[in-house]
Amino acid sequence: MSLLAQSMRQVLRHTTQRATLNGAMRALSINQKLQQQNKPATIDVAAIAKEHQQECQTVCERINQQVAKSEQGRLFAVVHLCGKQFKVTPGDIILVEGYWPPTTGDEISLDKVLLAGARDFTLIGRPMLDAGLVMVKATIIEKTLTHTKTHFKKKRRKQYMRINFQRSPNTMIRINSIELTRPLDGMAEAEAEHSIRLF
Amino acid sequence: MSNSHLFLKSGFPRAPLQNGVGRYVCQLQRLTLKFCKNNGSSRGMRDFIENHLVDFAKENPGIVVYVKPRRHRAPVLVGEYLNGDREWLSVRNSTQTEISKWIDLLKTQNGSSSSLRLRKMWHTDVPSIQGPWTPFLLRSPDAHNQTYPTSEASQPLDVPQTATEKLIELFKQQQLEADTVLEQKRAE
Repeated sequence: MSLLAQSMRQVLRHTTQRATLNGAMRALSINQKLQQQNKPATIDVAAIAKEHQQECQTVCERINQQVAKSEQGRLFAVVHLCGKQFKVTPGDIILVEGYWPPTTGDEISLDKVLLAGARDFTLIGRPMLDAGLVMVKATIIEKTLTHTKTHFKKKRRKQYMRINFQRSPNTMIRINSIELTRPLDGMAEAEAEHSIRLF
Repeated sequence: MSNSHLFLKSGFPRAPLQNGVGRYVCQLQRLTLKFCKNNGSSRGMRDFIENHLVDFAKENPGIVVYVKPRRHRAPVLVGEYLNGDREWLSVRNSTQTEISKWIDLLKTQNGSSSSLRLRKMWHTDVPSIQGPWTPFLLRSPDAHNQTYPTSEASQPLDVPQTATEKLIELFKQQQLEADTVLEQKRAE
């Protein structure tokens, strides 16, 4: 209900045909409180935006200060890798199933960071954090095959039986480091649109 | 699909000796190629030894390669690892490319992991950094201090408007409208 009210208020902010809308709302029998709220209709959008921006900036500054003093402690990140999401922190081991070209000893950086955080703060991507904001470095340490999986099929009374054995490749990755590469920009964070890039 | 693998030895992803934390260390230490000089089943192995083995040994100075000819026996690859594991592979009638692929597998493995069912695709020493979630996380402090049962918490989340209440509301609205109309007339 509150969501609906919010959206209605947003609509009302823009429209000139407020009277007709009010009539429509009465027809819909939306509660009186909402209608009364709309009568003044003097919500200061600019002030709210400014307040939001200020808040954003103060939070970013505090984060920057913490990072500058390197008091943030251990960082963690949620990375998107080969169609799966992993929550990783330095020293972790993750496994990629199926064919994946990198070989052992390769040092890679995982660029699709959906979320990064420390003890006191969390940076949430919409859906991903800006490229280059968080650097997640990893090393490939093993490429091997899984145990033998048996695919056994049988149909009763139909003289049908198949048995297949399968081993698929697995790649083990060690996360080496997670770092914030540059200080956060409070203004940009406040104004940032949802990023258009979707993988 | 059968569930026979459920009875396999199971485990979690582990890397020996913190491999990859500082740098990557190849875990394969010794590679033995056993083959026959005239048997047909060793043909691929002989081709591999002739064409690629020297390059392989040059590229991987950390791996000791032994070549062992023996009469009238099937060709075999044996890899020995840093953790003491020994992997034995029969490469009977395999071609040169197949053998080079198997050798690559032996090289990139950390040990003979063929008979281990993995229970998870993730391993961490630090499971939680911001602390594990509890039902009281990010809740208002009022919720902690309340004594139960409370009348507020006992109420249903959404109480629909009754018909009587609605009628009263409509009546009041009508009255308001009538008042405004009256006021307007008076003003005129």
